Amino acid sequence: MFFHKSNTVLTSQYNQFILITGEVAAAIKESGVRNGIVAVTSNHTTAGIMVNEALECLESDIDDALQRLIPENHPYAHSRILRSYGSTAGNPTGHLKAMLTGYHCLFPVVEGEILKGSAQEIYFMEFDGPSQRTYTITVQGE
Amino acid sequence: MGEVIDIHTHPAFMEPICGSEELLEQRRQALGLYKTDTACLEHIHNQMRCAGIDRLALLPLDLSTQENLLLVSNEEIRQLVDLDPQRFIGFASVDPYRPDALDALEHAFGDLGLAGLKLHPSRQNFSPTSDLLTPIYELCLRYNKPVIFHAGLSLEPNASMRYANPLEFEPVAARYPKLRFCLAHFGFPWVRETAALLLKYPNIYADTALLYFDSAREFYEEVFTGMLGRYWIDRSLRHQVMFGSNNPRFEQLRMAEALRTLGWRSGTLDLVFGQNALEFLG
Repeated sequence: MFFHKSNTVLTSQYNQFILITGEVAAAIKESGVRNGIVAVTSNHTTAGIMVNEALECLESDIDDALQRLIPENHPYAHSRILRSYGSTAGNPTGHLKAMLTGYHCLFPVVEGEILKGSAQEIYFMEFDGPSQRTYTITVQGE
Repeated sequence: MGEVIDIHTHPAFMEPICGSEELLEQRRQALGLYKTDTACLEHIHNQMRCAGIDRLALLPLDLSTQENLLLVSNEEIRQLVDLDPQRFIGFASVDPYRPDALDALEHAFGDLGLAGLKLHPSRQNFSPTSDLLTPIYELCLRYNKPVIFHAGLSLEPNASMRYANPLEFEPVAARYPKLRFCLAHFGFPWVRETAALLLKYPNIYADTALLYFDSAREFYEEVFTGMLGRYWIDRSLRHQVMFGSNNPRFEQLRMAEALRTLGWRSGTLDLVFGQNALEFLG
């Protein structure tokens, strides 16, 4: 059995953590798949998917670590007009942060439930907001 | 900081006036913004809030005779303003070659209540000093409405830099000392010419809608502390420069942040980010 859906989210901050574990669990139920795998993917190169513990302190530390690793003020090459867009490429930090988090995650589905550790939560990570974003949830199994 | 106004934005992709894929693609090609998508008003509000912007000036462009195209009509601008009058300031546009240009502009000011006029000499293919413009300037004076002229480089198709050198506009400033007009994009690359005109003519303004190279911080530093003297704006031109982003082509959030790093006095930032626009709008 194969199930696939896209969710759209309107982000409201430049960098933003958005918990989507509940949406993924709901999609598994909607799919009817009892045993298989679920994949969550971001459709973007400046927004990622991250799995971590949903604690305010950790969100702060992760945000701080990403900013230290990838500061806003740095002579990035991706800071120029792109002719194919007709607009400015000013989001190198978004691309680099999304590279670090990755664009997807994968979990087993067992007896109709997502099989994850108790501390594991799924985040959609905005790194160049505000924007309109899409992520996909794909469930495959039987 | 007081009210923050972005005096230079293009609303062509706002969802209420960009309702079909065909129109979206037409506007992408016409503006040379090939991958821009429609934006709902909630997204526009989010962008404004993140950048600390309270109001946007919305600029249309009438290309009736040159390209058989209204790149956002005056009526659509009115429609957007009616949807959010607290956030949107609507400008008019008129193609000076239209036989009914004066009637259209009178309708835009008198009936639609639009706040000023946007003209694009390069793309609308007229010289700012052409006699064709005389009745238009006089109508703006009669209604006490300012004009925003495109000046300098344009990344739009069908827009060469002919008629875009800031020096083209000096006779207009001299002939109509009470006509307030803005040289958009600071007239880049002729920013020194723009600075010279600002120094001499108090009725000329310029906006900061320029980001043609590098990051916003790097480019503003190059232009405002390298191509121009470091203190020229803060000391001499502080009453005539207005924050403008040219959104969605350029980055509202990072441009607004970058301007705040140039070392201008807080009073200058208040002027640039809002007070000068209020003066300009009359």
